[in-house]
Amino acid sequence: MNSLIKLEITRALRNRKFLFFSVIYPAGLFLLIAGGADSHTKIDGTGLTLPTYMMVSMASFGALTAVLMGNSERIAKERESGWVRQLRLTTLPGRGYVLAKTASAAVVSLPSIVVVFLVAAAVKDVRLDAWQWCALSGAIWAGSLVFAALGVALGYLASGDAVRPITMIIYFGLSMLGGLWMPTTTFPQWLQDVAKWLPTHAYASLGRAIEQSQTPHTQDIAVLVVSFVVFAGGAAWLYRKDTLKA
Amino acid sequence: MTTTAAPATTTPVVGFDQVTKTYGSVRAVDGLSLRLYPGETVALLGPNGAGKSTTLDLLLGLKPADGGTVSLFGTTPREAIVAGRVGAMLQSGGLMDGVTVAELVKLACSLHPRPYPVADVLARAGIAQIADRKVDKLSGGQAQRVRFALATAGDSDLIILDEPTTGMDVSARQAFWATMREQADQGRTVLFATHYLEEADAIADRVLVLHRGRLLADGTAAEIKAKAGARRVAFDLEGEIDQSALRGLPFLTSLDVSGQTVRIQSSDADATVHALYGLGVYPRNLEVAGLGLEQAFVAITEAEEAKQS
Repeated sequence: MNSLIKLEITRALRNRKFLFFSVIYPAGLFLLIAGGADSHTKIDGTGLTLPTYMMVSMASFGALTAVLMGNSERIAKERESGWVRQLRLTTLPGRGYVLAKTASAAVVSLPSIVVVFLVAAAVKDVRLDAWQWCALSGAIWAGSLVFAALGVALGYLASGDAVRPITMIIYFGLSMLGGLWMPTTTFPQWLQDVAKWLPTHAYASLGRAIEQSQTPHTQDIAVLVVSFVVFAGGAAWLYRKDTLKA
Repeated sequence: MTTTAAPATTTPVVGFDQVTKTYGSVRAVDGLSLRLYPGETVALLGPNGAGKSTTLDLLLGLKPADGGTVSLFGTTPREAIVAGRVGAMLQSGGLMDGVTVAELVKLACSLHPRPYPVADVLARAGIAQIADRKVDKLSGGQAQRVRFALATAGDSDLIILDEPTTGMDVSARQAFWATMREQADQGRTVLFATHYLEEADAIADRVLVLHRGRLLADGTAAEIKAKAGARRVAFDLEGEIDQSALRGLPFLTSLDVSGQTVRIQSSDADATVHALYGLGVYPRNLEVAGLGLEQAFVAITEAEEAKQS
């Protein structure tokens, strides 16, 4: 299984277009949104400056891009091409394929998180304690597993031409409504009530709680755990269904 | 119907027992029973839609059977695959893109419990010179060779090939079968699906004829060729046609007279035509043509049905 993981990672790092979108794009978007903002005024009710706030949003967005887009489209494509069938004729256990995909997505998502952090610290003077940097990286990286599972589920749910639009809708919907692009406080109240139950919202909240040196909200952790169970369970169910169909 | 090429005490490499697979209302595989024994080179011959690919999918455990049992080396297909006893090349087997040929073959070797050196696998499949090429940049024939390399990355006891020469030109085809024969000579059991009678004839020492999910015939290539190698003889006769004399022609399998035109099917056209002149008639517009495989299958089916009734 390690050899497949290694090869998947090699391939991901070779794919310049994909690397650009998941590593450079979030950092660029951060500069676009927070670049003109001043580094001292706090956003109401958070105690965080706009750059600090957006840093977590964009790091989460970058990780989301890497794991969701990477997994869903590749899996759908390789199911169609028959590569998944070919792998079933090897000693590789069934879950090995999904694990390799997730591992390679995680390898790309880590730099996308770190690059946003570096840009935020260097250009917008975001300053945090050492433990906060470490905890932030860890939390955002680990949290991306939730969306990696969603990516796998989508890859087995949709096929061929349908997978890209479906993934795009879910990706943009989750990013926007979850408040990764702008604070949800700008939304009308009813939308805010919906947004706070989205896994992306909980994901970014987790990071912000670390920035505020607060204990993460129980609700956010619960939303992430439940999402992970639902997505991973769905992925496992769809995978088994696909296996029977071959 | 099954011929046993080895003593019954040997564990069959492949065991199908009353296997059935249905898609909607279509019976792709219909009560198929067969056994393959170590060292045999077997062709699974049949026209498109005969159930060849489905049979191979069932055999490899890629699809579950609706009824009956499938075993490989006395175990389940999955267990046999995990033990590295089976190498397979499927028609629908895709390749991972974005990697080189060598990287992909290396992956296949590392997944096999008893791998061969990567360089040997590349050389044997004839893809050493394209080892650094990206998999997505290959021609159809080259991709087939890469699939073959994946199927032969390690020391497997059974090699399964589904229409392996699709997309290859004549010389590539010949080179491919030469490689395949080497595999068989090393004592491996080889099972390949094809719709070319000539391929089955040249390579296999046992031929299974599949038609509509059923086993129509099982024998040596020569036996099958005798059955399927029927020819059609057509000619015109003047005057009154003596049907009973025509019916007495040697090797005749069917006779059809319409107007002045006579159509005959014969399992040995040379002998039949020779005897035809012996009848003292003067056939005109004489045509002798081989039957297509499709018609040959129909001929075999009719022969089987006639035997049963």
